Amino acid sequence: MSKTHMLLRNEPGERFLLLGNEAIARGALEAGVGIVTTYPGTPASEIGDSLAAVASEAGLYMEYSTNEMVAVEVAAGAANCGVRALTAMKHVGLNVAADAFMTLAYTGVKGGYVLVSADDPNCYSSQNEQDNRLYALFSKVPCLEPSNSQEAKDMTVSAFQLSEKLELPVLLRTTTRVSHTRGPVIYGKLVKPKLKGEFLREPNRLVMVPANARKMHIKLLDKIEKAERISEESPYNFIARKGNGEIGIISSSSAYNYAVEASEILGLNAEILKLGMTHPVPQKMIREFLEKHEKVVIVEELEPYLELQVRTIAEEYELDVAVYGKMYGKYFPRNGELSTRLTLTGLAEITGKKSPINFKEIDEKYAEAAENLPSRPPILCPGCPHRASTYVIKKVTGGKAVYPTDIGCYALGFMPPLKIGDLVICMGSSVSMAQGIRKATDKDVVAIIGDSTFFHAAIPGLINAVYNNHKITLAVMDNLTTAMTGHQPHPGTGITGMKEKAEKVLVEKVAEGCGVKYVKVVNPFKIDEASRILKEAIQYPGPSVVVFRAPCALMVTNEKIRKGIKIKPCKLTDKCTNCMACIELLGCPALIIDRGKVKIDENLCVGCGLCSSICPYKAIECGETFQEVSE
Amino acid sequence: MKEFNIVLAGVGGQGILFASRILGTASIKEGLNVRVSEIHGMAQRGGAVISNVRIGENVFAPTVLDGRADILLGFEPLETIRNLKFTSEKTFILMNDEAVPPPELARTQREYPSLDEIIKKIRRFTEKIVIIKAADLALKAGNILTRNVVMIGALAATELLPVKTESLREAVMELVPEKYLDMNLKAFDSGYNFVKERKVKV
Repeated sequence: MSKTHMLLRNEPGERFLLLGNEAIARGALEAGVGIVTTYPGTPASEIGDSLAAVASEAGLYMEYSTNEMVAVEVAAGAANCGVRALTAMKHVGLNVAADAFMTLAYTGVKGGYVLVSADDPNCYSSQNEQDNRLYALFSKVPCLEPSNSQEAKDMTVSAFQLSEKLELPVLLRTTTRVSHTRGPVIYGKLVKPKLKGEFLREPNRLVMVPANARKMHIKLLDKIEKAERISEESPYNFIARKGNGEIGIISSSSAYNYAVEASEILGLNAEILKLGMTHPVPQKMIREFLEKHEKVVIVEELEPYLELQVRTIAEEYELDVAVYGKMYGKYFPRNGELSTRLTLTGLAEITGKKSPINFKEIDEKYAEAAENLPSRPPILCPGCPHRASTYVIKKVTGGKAVYPTDIGCYALGFMPPLKIGDLVICMGSSVSMAQGIRKATDKDVVAIIGDSTFFHAAIPGLINAVYNNHKITLAVMDNLTTAMTGHQPHPGTGITGMKEKAEKVLVEKVAEGCGVKYVKVVNPFKIDEASRILKEAIQYPGPSVVVFRAPCALMVTNEKIRKGIKIKPCKLTDKCTNCMACIELLGCPALIIDRGKVKIDENLCVGCGLCSSICPYKAIECGETFQEVSE
Repeated sequence: MKEFNIVLAGVGGQGILFASRILGTASIKEGLNVRVSEIHGMAQRGGAVISNVRIGENVFAPTVLDGRADILLGFEPLETIRNLKFTSEKTFILMNDEAVPPPELARTQREYPSLDEIIKKIRRFTEKIVIIKAADLALKAGNILTRNVVMIGALAATELLPVKTESLREAVMELVPEKYLDMNLKAFDSGYNFVKERKVKV
């Protein structure tokens, strides 16, 4: 018996346990979304993945787009034909999509269009911790901020309605703790997706040449004024807790959860204004709230986005209220993730109340227990082809080149013992920064990028290297998937988000098409051959590309498990002299030290054979290694 | 019940997210309010993984406050130590004895500390600790990957949870694919019996 997918169960009023991201997917299904686009990125990935899992059964169209800007443009095209569309991305994805998004606010949309931005305070899996509520203010589009899974579902449905009412895109902004927390969700009705609409020519609204753009900017300002009136009436902006009138708290998103619990623990009788629609903020509602209290605390994560606006209102109406937050006095941090503890500490300081929990004592006791505790940062998995590729790059260059790297698992190559990876700022930056470094130093530069990231953002940079003749080498770590975010397909995989076969776009063909004259494909586990080719590429008098192609180790092992093939770990023979070369050169987690001796952890080793290839004493025996694994 | 806090800690690949999902699903079955907080993406790649399950009507935040865990479910000894700040003398710790040495140890040519040393450290926080060989029991049930279900079965047997054993079993049945179900129920029972047979007092 095949079970109906949890997200497709049409049981209104029933309660299900959903991840925040799954709740957003369910909300989209309850809104009858027709077109979903995404580029995977933590903490947003499960929105697209959940919808991909049910797309054909639900009757909607879903795609993994090449990058976030493409995703927005595809969806915005559909939304302008009257079809409801949704695009999901991580916070930094909106930087990529910003060019499209900013002017899409001018043209507006006909069918509801929701852009989900999942922000990542504390950079759990990101290169920065920007606060994308500021994009709502910047672009003048409405912003909804859920604080739990139920709200994530409900607000997604409302976001589509709001978008159609205002004919504007709506930003649904979550954070890691909202996207990656499971909570109860009471279902509404499923709505059959509307996949087809009609494109009506409206050049004055849609062709953003200067004369039209000036007019549409005025219209946008009118729309956002209308949105403010909606915000005043929004059911998502409300007094969530009654207090004794002395102190008030204004909060949103995850921060609201911390504010409620911290107040409870402190015994603080605070009135809490919870804002779910945070752009535009309900100015009148905030003004009345400020008038009712002597002290108002703004509890929010990352930037003082609400605080800035609350202070402006207090100033404009010359209100007699003390506002506390992070701009002055710094009661809460502007970096990192907020927590119940940080909120409690801030509230205690503001109110003079004593925390019933002695954190100092806990910290001291913990520090003692955790002394010398070895760290366990994320690392390349056993059998990871990036370890082999990175080893080859290090061996050939002797560690003396400069290695701009990129966004993906292979960025972990910067850690010891490999230590290959000198800078990374954003998707695609490796190939272009390499060119500046080469120009400024004349050193060998080997830029490192993954396959999905190559398609996402490397192509203009590569064309630039050809056009301006920058002598760099680009190493494309092609593991045939978008590994870090959960193995989503991409243009090189030959499969779509709808699980249909597609044309495989090959990295080497793209590189040749960009005009690169030296392009070779190697298997990184064949170390000698890969080394010879990389050396040749570096010596080539122009830009060169080497594609290190071998499937992600997790895919290889999962495939074996699926087919019932036993995974055979490598074995250490008595030829081992305990020289530690394998451990010192590779840093594979399956190579451990037990009572002073090198040992292979048989539960972790997947038999890739890399250690066997580099062992100076040929002391490691493996079965069929990853040299033999085909695509 | 106002709040009941469970911290699950271990290493990527040990099935911690799935274990926390079982706890969350069982809570939903009993009509309880619950939050299950997870870590995905880069942080998962062989790194330390932590998940929080909070059950109860007063629960809003997805994360457990320092010193406030009712239960620490340690899937790996060093990761259990890493999360002691969530514990107090009231916390019950169920710890899998399966050591996964962090690569930093090999690189700096250090050895994994002995289980006795680890338990000694833990006892400074709480005396309520039970050690379980979850990996061995999982292997006996058919696959080491069921260690997470062994842990949940063992936890059920302590009768400390605000959810019934039957609800946890039902959650396993709902979440595990048909073809692996028998193996997982066996794993659940072996964890359950391990604690029951030892008449663990908590």
